[in-house]
Amino acid sequence: MLVGGATLLLIAFFVAREAAPALLADHGIIGFLFTDPWAPLADPPQFGIRHAWISTLLVTGVALAISVPMGFAIGAFLSEIAPRAIGSIVQPCIDVLAGIPSVVYGFVAYVLLLPWLADAFDLSTGESVLAASLVLAAMVLPFVASGSAEAFRAVPRELKEAAYAQGVTRFHVIRRVIAPHAASGLFAAVALGLARAIGETLAVLMIAGNSIATPASLLDRAQPITALIATELGEAGVGSAKYHALFGAGLVLLVIVAAINVAVWSAKGRLVAAR
Amino acid sequence: MSLLVDRAFTALCWALAALGIALPVGIVAFLAVRGLSVLSLGFLVDAPAGLPLGSGGGIGPAILGSLALVGIGAAIAFPLGVGGAIYLSEYDPPRLLARAARFAAECLAAVPSIVYGLFGYAFLVVFMALKVSLLAGGLTLGIVMLPIILIGAQEALKSVEASQREAALSLGVTTAHALRRIVIRRAMPAICAVTVLALGHAFGTAAPILFTAATIFSRGDIGLSTPVMTLPTHLYYLTGEAVSFDHAYATGFVIVVILLAANFAALALKARVGRD
Repeated sequence: MLVGGATLLLIAFFVAREAAPALLADHGIIGFLFTDPWAPLADPPQFGIRHAWISTLLVTGVALAISVPMGFAIGAFLSEIAPRAIGSIVQPCIDVLAGIPSVVYGFVAYVLLLPWLADAFDLSTGESVLAASLVLAAMVLPFVASGSAEAFRAVPRELKEAAYAQGVTRFHVIRRVIAPHAASGLFAAVALGLARAIGETLAVLMIAGNSIATPASLLDRAQPITALIATELGEAGVGSAKYHALFGAGLVLLVIVAAINVAVWSAKGRLVAAR
Repeated sequence: MSLLVDRAFTALCWALAALGIALPVGIVAFLAVRGLSVLSLGFLVDAPAGLPLGSGGGIGPAILGSLALVGIGAAIAFPLGVGGAIYLSEYDPPRLLARAARFAAECLAAVPSIVYGLFGYAFLVVFMALKVSLLAGGLTLGIVMLPIILIGAQEALKSVEASQREAALSLGVTTAHALRRIVIRRAMPAICAVTVLALGHAFGTAAPILFTAATIFSRGDIGLSTPVMTLPTHLYYLTGEAVSFDHAYATGFVIVVILLAANFAALALKARVGRD
């Protein structure tokens, strides 16, 4: 049990230790995050990860914008609308969707989605922020759907029935009574989806285009933080400036995800306090 | 008007639920249709061959490698996870410790898979000098699985009714005896279900092993100190280097079938919990 806590500390410690030289280099954290380009072949080589975190932000943002409303609707469907028989078909399908590994999503998107996007938007290969966002949306969808279904189900039965007894429509009840009551559960579902989307590696690695230019539109190629690490770590000599920069990128990921988790925990705390 | 909105919303929900069914079914069916032509017994047991490598032969070493990695990971994560869960939920640890441990486990579960890879590389491969090897990758996967099993096992133990526990203790047996004969026995199907899910997750994930265990080619000799081929990294290699899409379809199909089998096993175990 203590191993769990110790492992977490060990991971944080090791990633931070290897990241430190990159953050303490000439241009400091500001250079690393905001001003330096990723130019390993320049003289002197520069390792800023601006393009990567902007890519991560863009891809994740669009993915959530697609998957959160859809996930909530499926959650509401499972909890409030679906007849028992239908629900017992949809739920396992959602579970299967959650279980398909990242690399398989990446592959299927590579052979199906990319040619279609290339055609539709007249791109050379279809690799783009948009492609990565669409795949991430499909990957996050089951987590938001299951999480929100659980949150909707946790709303007390009497409350729902009292609302229905007013003779208003089901949509009205879901929007005005059930959703506000389930708010913290819905928030947790979104936050877990967000954490998952930010950390997703293989799928975005295969279809985002892996370009070190900062993306300016949805049709540009991109390289989220995870893809940057996966692409470059194999060629980074242990202890080199690039090696440390990649651990710096990992540390940024770790900090983002930890912040999300703290937010979820405080939301949970509020939920318990409210009862 | 509001009736119309309600109708539209209901229709939308049905449509999205249909999408929720169509997506997984579509993906699996697509891989099956495209992959079945390559699939044969030889494909499942042979080593990759051809030029470029992987355009012929099979994926035997990748299946073996993936199974070995997940096996090592499970051998570490299962006892630690279940043991930790038993301590946390049955032995009444200090409240602060319990909360801290749970928080750590949830943070650990949310750590991006590539960060596990970074950690495995820096700590196991470089610092502990394990090199890129089955052992380093297996240990990394063990850390990936640990929080999932710990959290799941804790939930499973929590859902054993207090009355069962009290009835056992009132007969005068020790806590350990009541645990072994009653509580763990009741919680076991749910613990197994979450373990199977954790195994499936570890089996399909590529990022943590990309730099700790994976190699592009091996003949299928498995040793703790040698790197191994794995199914997810093989699929990544086949696609990324555009080696052979036929083989990629078949490899993807094999991964999905193995995971579906794990999923159904977990569902069946869960159903067993529901019954008694």
